[in-house]
Amino acid sequence: MKGEYMKLRVKVLFLLIILCLCVSSIAYSQNKYRLKPDAAGKNCLNCHDNFKSVLKKQYLHTPVKTGQCTGCHDPHAASHGKLLSEDTNKICIKCHEAVMPKNARSTHRVAMEGNCVKCHDPHASDHKNVLVKAGNALCLDCHKKMGDGLAKIKFRHSPVDKGCTNCHDAHASTKSDHLLKNNLTALCVGCHRPDRPNFLKAHMNYPVANSRCSSCHNPHGSNTPGIFFDTVHSPVSKKMCSQCHEAPTTPNPFQIKRAGLDLCRGCHNNTVSEALNKNKVHWPLVDKVGCLNCHEPHASSHKNLVMGDSGTLCGKCHSDTMSIQKKLLEREKKEAAALPKGQVIKGALTHNPINEGNCDACHSPHASDNTLLMKQQSMVELCGTCHDWLKHTSHPMGEKVTDSRNKNLKVDCLSCHRSHGTGYRYLIPFPTQTDLCVQCHKQFRR
Amino acid sequence: MALSLRVLFIITVLSYPLLGLAAESLRLRHVVSVYADEKGAGLRHPEGVACNDKSLLLVGDTGNGRLVRFTFQEGNLKGGTEIRIPQLSYPIRVQVNSKGEIFALDGKTRRIVRLASDGNFKGYVTAEGAPPSSMVPKSFKIDRDDAIYILDVLSARVLLLNADGKFQKQIDFPKEYGFIADLAVDLKGSVILIDSVKGRAFSAAKNATSFSPLGGSLKEHLSFPASLTTDIRGTIFITDENGGTIGVLSQDGSFLGKQLSMGWNEGLLYYPSQVCVNEKGETFIADRGNSRVQVFISVK
Repeated sequence: MKGEYMKLRVKVLFLLIILCLCVSSIAYSQNKYRLKPDAAGKNCLNCHDNFKSVLKKQYLHTPVKTGQCTGCHDPHAASHGKLLSEDTNKICIKCHEAVMPKNARSTHRVAMEGNCVKCHDPHASDHKNVLVKAGNALCLDCHKKMGDGLAKIKFRHSPVDKGCTNCHDAHASTKSDHLLKNNLTALCVGCHRPDRPNFLKAHMNYPVANSRCSSCHNPHGSNTPGIFFDTVHSPVSKKMCSQCHEAPTTPNPFQIKRAGLDLCRGCHNNTVSEALNKNKVHWPLVDKVGCLNCHEPHASSHKNLVMGDSGTLCGKCHSDTMSIQKKLLEREKKEAAALPKGQVIKGALTHNPINEGNCDACHSPHASDNTLLMKQQSMVELCGTCHDWLKHTSHPMGEKVTDSRNKNLKVDCLSCHRSHGTGYRYLIPFPTQTDLCVQCHKQFRR
Repeated sequence: MALSLRVLFIITVLSYPLLGLAAESLRLRHVVSVYADEKGAGLRHPEGVACNDKSLLLVGDTGNGRLVRFTFQEGNLKGGTEIRIPQLSYPIRVQVNSKGEIFALDGKTRRIVRLASDGNFKGYVTAEGAPPSSMVPKSFKIDRDDAIYILDVLSARVLLLNADGKFQKQIDFPKEYGFIADLAVDLKGSVILIDSVKGRAFSAAKNATSFSPLGGSLKEHLSFPASLTTDIRGTIFITDENGGTIGVLSQDGSFLGKQLSMGWNEGLLYYPSQVCVNEKGETFIADRGNSRVQVFISVK
């Protein structure tokens, strides 16, 4: 009996020892380096004395507030600047993953790139959400063009003054393009009730509750009452919707009365006839969509109701030309930046009209009698509208000078240059001028 | 059974590199360039070219507002007779049918004219009976049975007409197309479209009622595909207008490579337009920017 009691005591003792070992090892693992109680943050202030003033700010980043400097910084060494435990563009998302939803329809580029510090102070700020600036000033720091525009316009949409985040999400939107918090129409009718008599009257009783408001109105504001885009199609400004659409009382009130070009021809007959009598028509003009491939039917912020500057607009279809130009422009800037101060590289890689979104400097957008919808038959004359070629070269050119490579070609500017860029300076199609010249002057080939 | 499966497996494995080799080894070799008619009058920005198995080479000499007829036989170019009619001032696409009738699309009036083999005007192709009958043809093709296929950009459809020009059926353009620039019809009767903007090909088998994508995006290979044709094997040749090259696709739409490149010298292209391949594999390209037509043969 006594023997069994002894055995039980030994077993209990053994279990107690094991239990003690477990508890002590857990305790050891939790503070194996025997860290002082405030090692995670508060102790940092012993050296980083200046940081105390930061802590006095109104809004503190949670790890700062809770004294967890080690939430972001490694106290000993790190592979990233400022002893950060992760790359600056990746560290925030570790905690704030929900900021960028996976099913986003539009994303803010800075947020997407993890450049959070562009808007937020990682430690503290006097502005809500630890933003580096308050209100619209923060957004307009980058969106300067928008800021400049807003400063000049007569009629500002009041929510713009209340803050960009009134309509836009700062990080990403799962519901709409342009970071809008909801689809555009839903956003608008949230304030502008479409069933109100004034609203109905202003819209000529057309049931616009589900229409795209921005086809007429500039959501930020404009110089036109009713914040219409600055260029308004005459029938719209005269409230003559039924000139193009069926009557508002019909089953399909938005149905247009004729398709494509035929509808526009009713008023713009001269323009249309002139285009259609040319040798070459720009094919989208005569397709199913017609004029509306390039022009807004109601209002636009651009002249002639076009959908954008011609670079953007033409780039919708001619993306190959635009992407080459974009790449060359980036290269041009890079190479210029790499040069010592005051030094310049002669000869452009890009053609200015394209950079400026001015394709119609050379091409007729509707139709032309010339190939590639060129504005003039003679390339020498066309280029001569900007370039004083007589000062540029004494090379014989023109209708009387035959290209030695091909008896059907005359020597003109495009004999040596390609206006959309080639990757070589002076827009020549060969690496050096010698390579170019010996194409015709073969006797000088080495 | 097991043995036959093994054999099948080995054949399949072996055929992959062979098929690839066949595709890779297709090369276009320059034979001759056409610069002028029989009287020495030079071509000017020709956009149209048609050929057949009877050695005919028909050039749509767009800038001069005329057609020029040649024969190309055993590497020799002959003829150069001008066909000029008032109904055709700006020919941008040309075709011939089995009877030798000539069809040309006028870029200015956007109408297809039909000429007798001697070049006399016979009338317009009107797509009689088509719903709606109004159309804007961007391009057209004629198959072996003389059926006429019209790319109607106004109604976003391909119209199929019989040899007399009477409406047979239509196939709507595929959904979410960018801009359909040209069509081709292969020997099986499949219609193939090329989308310049989206950089994609689409096809509809002979009895299909809709188009479906053919192969993947061509954006990384071609800048602005603008015209296409097929050879007797069903290989697809696409002219890349801005890239100055010819893209080659297999029947299933796989990209097989590019032929030729941009330039002014013979064998190079500058803003090429229509392309035609005859049964012998002789390839005729309207080299618009160089104001000539170039003739190539396929070599392996």
